[in-house]
Amino acid sequence: MENGAVSQSEGKDPSGFLSEIIGNSVTVKLNSGVVYKGELQSVDGYMNIALEKTDEYVNGVKRRSYGDAFVRGNNVMYISAD
Amino acid sequence: MAAPSTSQLLPLELIDKCVGSRIWVVMKGDKEFSGTLVGFDDYVNMVLEDVTEFDYSGNHTKLAKILLNGNNICMLIPGGEGPVAA
Repeated sequence: MENGAVSQSEGKDPSGFLSEIIGNSVTVKLNSGVVYKGELQSVDGYMNIALEKTDEYVNGVKRRSYGDAFVRGNNVMYISAD
Repeated sequence: MAAPSTSQLLPLELIDKCVGSRIWVVMKGDKEFSGTLVGFDDYVNMVLEDVTEFDYSGNHTKLAKILLNGNNICMLIPGGEGPVAA
């Protein structure tokens, strides 16, 4: 590790993880506590997320379903592989 | 005088040393996570494995593998197992 640079070549960093879980079923939790479960279609560098077959959970209770959903990245707390 | 560069450990280098080991993440607000650090980026977005999410209400949620947004991270404790062990 020269010049204090952080080594992230293992493919285990955030972008490596994202490419690994594209197409999988995921859980996305927002800062508000609302949870979206669906099939991860795509993510970008802002953590904007496109989901398919999405279910929305508020306080653990299923509220609504969406065929396609876009979540703006600034609201995302975490993306979990199911 | 600045310390010799060999004795200076930059914050992100400390986190880099934690890759592969358990880490305790304290968020802004009341939420906390503990898990095995798999990787992270310049924004300190982090990939964690075998994660426990600690709620403000004391609830625990187990998660296999997550990408945690660095935006709301406040503090990182290497080797920490969360508020239970502390």
